[in-house]
Amino acid sequence: MKSAGVTSLATAVTTATVAQAQTGPRLVGPGDVPVTLMVNGKRLELKIEPRVTLLDAIRNRADLTGNKRVCDRGTCGACTMIVDGRTVYSCSTLAIEVQGKQIRTVDGLASANGAMHPVQQAFCDTDGLMCGFCTPGFVVATVAVLEKHPNATRDQISKGLDGNICRCGTFVRIMEAAMKARTVARG
Amino acid sequence: MANKYSWPEKPALLGTSVKRLDGPDKVTGRAKYTYDINRPGMLYGKMVRSPLPHARVVSIDLSAAEKAPGVKAVLAHVAVGAQVMYQGDPVAAVAADTEERALDAARMIRVRYEALPHFANVEQAMATDAPAVFPGGNTRQGATEETGDLVAGFAKAAHIVEATYATHVITHVCLETHGCVCEWDGDKLTAWISTQAVIQSAQQFAQALGIPQANVHTIMQYMGGGFGSKFGPDSQGIICAKLAKLAKAPVKLMLDRKEEHLDTGNRPSATAHIRAGITADGMLTAFDGQSWGTGGAGATSGFPLPYIYNFPTRKRTHKDVYINAGQQRAMRAPGHPQGCFLTEILMDELADTIKMDPVAFRVKNLPPAAPNAMWAEYFARGAKAFGWDKRHATGDPTPGPIKTGMGVSAHRWGGAGQGSQAHVDIMSDGGIVVKCGTQDIGTGTRTIVGMVAAETFGLPLSAIKVEIGDSLLPFSGGSGGSTTAASAMPAIRVTSVDALEALFAKVAPALGTAPENLVAEGGRIFIKGTPAKGLSWKDACKLIGTEPISVNGKWAQGLSGSGTSGVQFAEASVDIETGIVRVTRILAIQDCGLIVDKLTAESQAYGGVIAAINFALFEDRILDRVTGQMVNPNMEMYLLAGMSDVPKIDIMLNNMPERGVIGIGEPPTVSTASAIANAVRNATGATIRSLPLHPHKVLAALEQEKAGGTN
Repeated sequence: MKSAGVTSLATAVTTATVAQAQTGPRLVGPGDVPVTLMVNGKRLELKIEPRVTLLDAIRNRADLTGNKRVCDRGTCGACTMIVDGRTVYSCSTLAIEVQGKQIRTVDGLASANGAMHPVQQAFCDTDGLMCGFCTPGFVVATVAVLEKHPNATRDQISKGLDGNICRCGTFVRIMEAAMKARTVARG
Repeated sequence: MANKYSWPEKPALLGTSVKRLDGPDKVTGRAKYTYDINRPGMLYGKMVRSPLPHARVVSIDLSAAEKAPGVKAVLAHVAVGAQVMYQGDPVAAVAADTEERALDAARMIRVRYEALPHFANVEQAMATDAPAVFPGGNTRQGATEETGDLVAGFAKAAHIVEATYATHVITHVCLETHGCVCEWDGDKLTAWISTQAVIQSAQQFAQALGIPQANVHTIMQYMGGGFGSKFGPDSQGIICAKLAKLAKAPVKLMLDRKEEHLDTGNRPSATAHIRAGITADGMLTAFDGQSWGTGGAGATSGFPLPYIYNFPTRKRTHKDVYINAGQQRAMRAPGHPQGCFLTEILMDELADTIKMDPVAFRVKNLPPAAPNAMWAEYFARGAKAFGWDKRHATGDPTPGPIKTGMGVSAHRWGGAGQGSQAHVDIMSDGGIVVKCGTQDIGTGTRTIVGMVAAETFGLPLSAIKVEIGDSLLPFSGGSGGSTTAASAMPAIRVTSVDALEALFAKVAPALGTAPENLVAEGGRIFIKGTPAKGLSWKDACKLIGTEPISVNGKWAQGLSGSGTSGVQFAEASVDIETGIVRVTRILAIQDCGLIVDKLTAESQAYGGVIAAINFALFEDRILDRVTGQMVNPNMEMYLLAGMSDVPKIDIMLNNMPERGVIGIGEPPTVSTASAIANAVRNATGATIRSLPLHPHKVLAALEQEKAGGTN
């Protein structure tokens, strides 16, 4: 299950209401405000409008274009990132809401020497991709499932990937890739 | 006739499973799609579209948008007084320095419309009192096709089935939306465009913008799905180029999800009222069908009918019905899934009139077997592999709410190709570059281009540098109709063979032999029959000298073929309390001539089957019958299968190397939906004669069955 930033937004609103009662509203924007993100272990200092999503901030302002925008409504999972260990739909998460959190995108999964993550290698080996546009989201979601359940069953993998959609129809081979990556991804 | 270009009899690579060349770039996010192109100083374009299905544009006020923050260009796409014919018809556009500001500015463009009468469905358009909405008529009657004496045909029939069958409209839902990035350098345009036709896109840009084609450079290294809907710049591409010209800066204009549903094509609907006759021993006698369908505002809706089976007498009429919705475009095997469904459900109903097994009945009524008509063999192989002998008669007798059943269907497709060119360079350091202006739309074209060259040179795939997806490369056609492999592979083969001959001419003197005695295998060039007398590829290439071997070539007859056939079996379970259908197993038997890469060929078959599961069970473009608005222009209400919806799928590819290369992109998606619907019928005893098989329709069919049967 992915969160779409709704909960955190609701929390922020409640906090603001409390704060407003005591000290008046704390307003940010309109217009660009400084936002600091920790993406793939690197600090990104951005000046963006508060309404900019995590996905757009990273793609348009930092040129990290691996994750894609497809449905733009938290349904298809092409934008899946891992924030503090949990998968999120980054198209439906505000960048300003995830400051101070560890954000992982598909661009940062390979190791520093360029070697692919075992999940990425498994996708290549089983042909778990066609056009490749949903692939970054599926790869990130698969990494997250296997980090949570290193010995995941087919059913756990299925549930873990149900928040992602592929239009070319690569599901059969994505499942093969995930099953194959289980052993190598461990640890 | 075998010649020097013929495919090798004992290939090292062809027909094996080879991992795709661009897999690592795609899984790491390094692959740059059009959507990922970020140019220095780039602006973002946003279009304004008609919210109404039919209206006259009364006024367009761009002034507020022009003054909005960050806006660099604004334009009107239509003239005041023009008519918009569907929700989503383009009206105006804006470019601004951020995507968010472009969106703000687009909202400031004030367009006033005078609403005009519209049709949201075919019933409204076909009503006798319908207003005249489309110039030249709301419908267009096609020619009547007629073979044999229909009256005599029906006279021979022991049973006649008469019913109405239908399929619905679905949209392509390309995950990468349509769009491009346009950048001008003086009067020269560079466009990164998400397209299935990179060279044809350059031609279309030039025509629409009134500039020489030589001034247009189009690039498509990666694209996120097209399925038949991406063959040119379309309105968004031309608008993007115009915005970039106005703003004097690069502009990226990618459609949003709603626009993608509304204005980038769809599979037309198909409906047919059919009467068909059968003799007591299971021979078809006659087919009489009146069909209609809608491809949207002013577009066609044709499809083959009847499909595959041999009706000795038949008559068919077809009518295109225009409604106020975005125009259809080719969608994966255009026409065939519709014609297949309309025919194959009828076939099961006919078989039941004489209690005959659906496989035996189909085999009895097939056209003569041929290399492009292998159905009889596939029915037999598939029935055995699928366990067809365990199929019960119509209506699962098992007690309880879950009923299971099996169904079967057959399909065909063309898949021929021609007219590709290619270029091969062999450098003195042993490097090989293969160039062809084809494109990889996710099917694996980049990989098979490399494989054919590698096979010819006796080298591993990694030795080949493949350059495709650029309008500056040698001509190749658009990737539609499953023509890409059959077009490009012969060109690559011919050019590689010619380049190798040129290399042999350089190498032969050093080996003290004539060029025709040389072969290239296993990374070496040597005298045929004596592998010791030769050179490694690298050493051989040192003899090339400073001027590389540089060869142009083109498609030649005899290396590709035409016509594929396939059969699919489906098993489904139906919960008769909820109406929910689950597909549990699919078996797809498919040929595509010479298989180049078994791995990617299988992936295409899997993909076709899954696309058809979507067509059968999930997707549906729904237009509100009053307002004509699409009610599900998104991906949460426009349903597509997820991992848990995907059944066990078995693919059996029949390699027919003697036929040459034939495309496989489309055929596997044709018959799955019909096989599933027949499985649902076999499970429940109720016939659902229209797609999609949504729960409410399943329940309605079951009610009707209880009330006296659907037969």
